[in-house]
Amino acid sequence: MTTLSAVAVSALVVLLIFIKIRRMQTSEPTIGLPIDGEWSRRRHNNYAFAVSDKAAGMERAGDALQDQTNIRRSAGFRPPKLSARHFVHTHLAILPRGRFRRTSLENELQPSHVKSRTEPDDDSWTAARQSRQIERFGATLDLLPLTILVANSQEKTLFANTAAEKLFGYSREELSGVPVGKLVPALHLNVSAADSACSNMALGGREPDGHRELVARRRDGTEFPAEVTTNPVSWENEACTLTIVIDRTERYELLRNRQQLAHLTRVSTLGELTGSLAHELNQPLTAILSNAQAAQRFLATEPVNLAEVREILHDLVEDNHRASEVIRKIRALVKKGELEAMPLSIASVIRDVTLLVRSDAIVRGIRMCVAVTPDLPPVHGDKVQLQQVVLNLLLNAFDALESCAALNREVAIEVTPEGGDRIRVAVRDGGTGLAGNTLDKLFSPFFTSKRDGLGLGLSISRSIVEMHGGWIWAQNNEDRGATFYFTLPTGATPERSFQRGRP
Amino acid sequence: MSEARSTVFVVDDDEAVCRALTRLICSAGYCVESFESAHEFLETCPHLEGCACLVLDIGLPDINGLELQNELIALNRSLPIIFITGRGDIAMTVKAMKAGATDFLAKPVRDSELLSAIANALRVSSQALSSRIELDCIHRRMARLTPREREVLALLVEGRLNKQVASELGVAEKTIKVHRARVMEKMEAHSLIDLVRVTDKVCISPSPGQSS
Repeated sequence: MTTLSAVAVSALVVLLIFIKIRRMQTSEPTIGLPIDGEWSRRRHNNYAFAVSDKAAGMERAGDALQDQTNIRRSAGFRPPKLSARHFVHTHLAILPRGRFRRTSLENELQPSHVKSRTEPDDDSWTAARQSRQIERFGATLDLLPLTILVANSQEKTLFANTAAEKLFGYSREELSGVPVGKLVPALHLNVSAADSACSNMALGGREPDGHRELVARRRDGTEFPAEVTTNPVSWENEACTLTIVIDRTERYELLRNRQQLAHLTRVSTLGELTGSLAHELNQPLTAILSNAQAAQRFLATEPVNLAEVREILHDLVEDNHRASEVIRKIRALVKKGELEAMPLSIASVIRDVTLLVRSDAIVRGIRMCVAVTPDLPPVHGDKVQLQQVVLNLLLNAFDALESCAALNREVAIEVTPEGGDRIRVAVRDGGTGLAGNTLDKLFSPFFTSKRDGLGLGLSISRSIVEMHGGWIWAQNNEDRGATFYFTLPTGATPERSFQRGRP
Repeated sequence: MSEARSTVFVVDDDEAVCRALTRLICSAGYCVESFESAHEFLETCPHLEGCACLVLDIGLPDINGLELQNELIALNRSLPIIFITGRGDIAMTVKAMKAGATDFLAKPVRDSELLSAIANALRVSSQALSSRIELDCIHRRMARLTPREREVLALLVEGRLNKQVASELGVAEKTIKVHRARVMEKMEAHSLIDLVRVTDKVCISPSPGQSS
């Protein structure tokens, strides 16, 4: 994302410098002046007038220039904001419509132009000038590393720049007239709406469209994720749409890699817990077997103790549920899935994890204390990923207690509200604590203090928590050991960054 | 002790497992008492009477099964223990068996396996109980002996003749005969062989030095 944006911004800066230079060559400060339809008609009238009365026409042209400056002032023209996207929208969109550029062109060419005015065929002259300008504009667009398509109201491609040829694999000739839907199937241009928005934009008051993430299709039929931004432009006097397509394959791959990494660490963590998980399954299985065999024995006696058998059957169902619940939780953690954001009770997230590590704690002689403030509002997030964070912090805490006296082997998990719109989870251990110089490196990838640690757990935990709009940090306790904290926002508003899967 | 009066104690922190095991053992006609922690069991333990065995989970949250076993030995309240565990290893098994466990079973445990282990453990318990009762009885009898009678007993069970005992202790043979009759009477032995057998059980052959 950032790399592409940087390239785009630098390209725009080049474009602007190019425009600036052109502007400096002309006498009038002209670029970026928004011109509305009214003014364009007036200018057209001027030309008509010029045919009939050259001298007056010249005067009128001068007046028009003056008017134009007035319009700029009265329209309260604001210089475009210094955002890259805004530059794209304002300048790229205005240039093709930019009659004002034409004016400057006119000024530049004035000596010969005056003569040309005497030629009778004004229409052909205008057309030639327009096509020349479109050509120049097209040439400028070709310089950009962004894929740009200009389509008319019928969604037919009128122009595609070099980057578009490369990205889609068509030649320019092939692209001409191709429906935009063939390139970006889900893209529906709303040219009329775009046109009405255009004048607003021309006054510099319109914010750029929100970009959309769509799937684009190359000539060979392969599809790729793309970020598509559409904006209205005027192209050869027609209301058109300028579409910028940014190939997001790399970003999606990065996102996918991150998810895969998170999944891998989850699986490897569960691998470490195999013994514990097997035990968690074995317990209900033991209960089921013993209950069933007890029932057989009760049924073999006379008279049959039906009440006892009924109770046994009830317990069998319960134990079966318990076993399948363990399996379901393991599967949920192991499965590779898309992120699923939903309102969650943090207490249930913690309960599920403590269930999985319960017998690991028993084997290691560790007591777990969970204290959750009742009636906490739900958090919005992906259950599996949040479980991964809690699991990671818990197992780290267990490891920290490895060399501790049996009395101090305690891990406390506390969930408290924080500042009204957040909750804070604290995982406190009574271990040896964190060395001062490790505190700031803890969450860096590949930093580990364990002999056989990968150093990914905390870094992945951090990216998960931050993706959920929270923070994670650690500090040493006053008495002994360390506490890891993380906060999560409460409420049902999904984080935009979460939806977009910001790494 | 009859089996009907024997008690099986079950200690497992997992409520469902504890209940299921209790039922299964109950179905075989034993009297079962279950506990969900080692501490709970230890509190009841000093009041144990009669023939009993313990079905013990190793992975307990407070004190683990092996520690509880040692604790019971230290308290001199040892009883036959059947360990059941979901994840036993060789080291754990060896440790438990060396400390006197009667069985070491893996979860999930089959009824036949568990019940025969229990029957076996109760047999051990009942034997231990009767030998303890017998020992108590012998100790009680020996407590009635005077120091001189103990000395005489010690020499007699070594196979000395009255004459030899008399010369060893520096008294008349006639006196030894009187002592010997009193020892036989107090120890409730009908013959010298009987006396040797009883004395052997308590492993007491006090040397003349100790008896003084």
